[in-house]
Amino acid sequence: MKIVAHSYVNSKGVFLNGDCVQTRVDLEVHFLNDLYRKLELNYPKFYKMDTLSKSALLADFVLTPYYTEKPELEDQLQLIFANDESSKQTDLKFIDSYELKENASPSLFVYTLPNIVTGELAIKHKWYGENTFFILPDFQTKFYVEQMEMSFARGNKYCLCGWMSNKTEENEECFLFLVSQSENKNVTNEIENILNTYRNE
Amino acid sequence: MKIYLKYGALISPLGNDIGSHFNALLHHESGIQLQKEEGFDGAALYLSKIPWLTENRYNTLLSKICDDLLVNVSTALLQSPKTAIILSTTKANMEEVDADSFASSRRIISEKFQNPNETIILSNACISGVLAINLAADYIQMGTFDEVVVIGIDVLNDFVINGFQSLRALSDEPCLPFDENRKGVSLGEACGAIVVSNKGGADFSVEYLGGASSNDANHISGPSRTGEGLVRVVNKTLDRSNSKKEEINYISAHGTATLFNDEMEAIGFNRLGLENVPINSFKGNFGHTLGAAGIVEVLMCMVSMEKNTLFKSVGFEKLGTTVPLTVLSENLDLDLHVVLKTASGFGGGNAALLMRKIG
Repeated sequence: MKIVAHSYVNSKGVFLNGDCVQTRVDLEVHFLNDLYRKLELNYPKFYKMDTLSKSALLADFVLTPYYTEKPELEDQLQLIFANDESSKQTDLKFIDSYELKENASPSLFVYTLPNIVTGELAIKHKWYGENTFFILPDFQTKFYVEQMEMSFARGNKYCLCGWMSNKTEENEECFLFLVSQSENKNVTNEIENILNTYRNE
Repeated sequence: MKIYLKYGALISPLGNDIGSHFNALLHHESGIQLQKEEGFDGAALYLSKIPWLTENRYNTLLSKICDDLLVNVSTALLQSPKTAIILSTTKANMEEVDADSFASSRRIISEKFQNPNETIILSNACISGVLAINLAADYIQMGTFDEVVVIGIDVLNDFVINGFQSLRALSDEPCLPFDENRKGVSLGEACGAIVVSNKGGADFSVEYLGGASSNDANHISGPSRTGEGLVRVVNKTLDRSNSKKEEINYISAHGTATLFNDEMEAIGFNRLGLENVPINSFKGNFGHTLGAAGIVEVLMCMVSMEKNTLFKSVGFEKLGTTVPLTVLSENLDLDLHVVLKTASGFGGGNAALLMRKIG
């Protein structure tokens, strides 16, 4: 395995391969919306998304240069995503929509599944390959490495792994790392160190 | 290496064990009934609801399937460090969403089985169950575990009912998969368990040949118009199973009974040249049980293989797709060999697996 590239998004900014690409500027709006504007992205569907998908979209955007000239991504890329409490934030908003506002909101309900995130990325890049979404108590490097070993054994050439937490607003984080099958290298410690560095920025 | 699927346990409105489900399906029974004051506006809705499940519904059902597994499967197997537990669910326990809707699952399974491995939770909408079996098979293949117990569970609650109602996806009569008069989904609840193993043994088992997942890369809440993801996942599954499509003599479809889903499947199976293979949907019996559906339906495929009986697709009378399909309008006695199970769901996901009868 070889880590091709990695990115991270939290309330401080968007990071690529350890470097800050964009810091948050406007403290009046949600940091995800602020970062989207500052990065001058043109993906209007962004505003319809929940915070899980928004954070993944930003982290994915900075990885985009690493997707070029890799035709295997269309069908031999597996998305291995996980978080700690599924779509909790949107779940609570949807419950409010029918308990307080007396109108169950279909646009909220479609985001009450965590794997919508992987669906959004598949749509954006026309990736037809495998997708899995897990609920883990916390980020576990060993678990991702185990999943990637099985994925590569099944014939996939790349894995895009994602960890995202979104229990409460303004505390969202998203960590993506693109791993290729090439090279027989143990990446466990490397992944662990990368995330710890991002979290301590 | 050969991988085997064995009966674990099954609880639905149709019964509390595999045997009672065989009888129920033989007689075209359905758990879908009109339930009063269920909808968002207090309306009556057709749901497949477990009648004895009243309070603390999710935890009670999960505890019951664990107790059943302790009877049906040896305690030593459930406790072993070489056994993993995978849970497939879309929403887990929504009564505890304010704290953590997934915490009770880990607690209950750990208390009941005393297994040292942390329960692996997969939450991938309607394809979770099939994905979970595929993942279990991968763990066996890698030699990480000797046995993996896969549990699929989802219960009915206001959250899910209001959600499907808000999408206008619910049928105002029991669902009619693949039928010309189909109007949408009937929701259901169930819990099923399968033991995936590297050993055959004396009890009935089927051989797991291979599986895959795919994404439509098209829409987060609507199925692909071309069946692209389904075509890709079935081809990949055949490839990984070293099998040919001509070997398949029965398909257990997803068949939610929405206009678009069933049409998508019909288009996909035609593109694959599988339109003449007998096919059914179990949604007419169980309703759509979301994260449990894949497990429940694979269990029923295993029953079909054991008994050499294909079950009528309940709710189906006249084909309502633009391209042909061989939907089972009656039970059919057939010597089964290779069976294909597929699932498709929100987020654009598709999953499939292939099984073979032993002997």
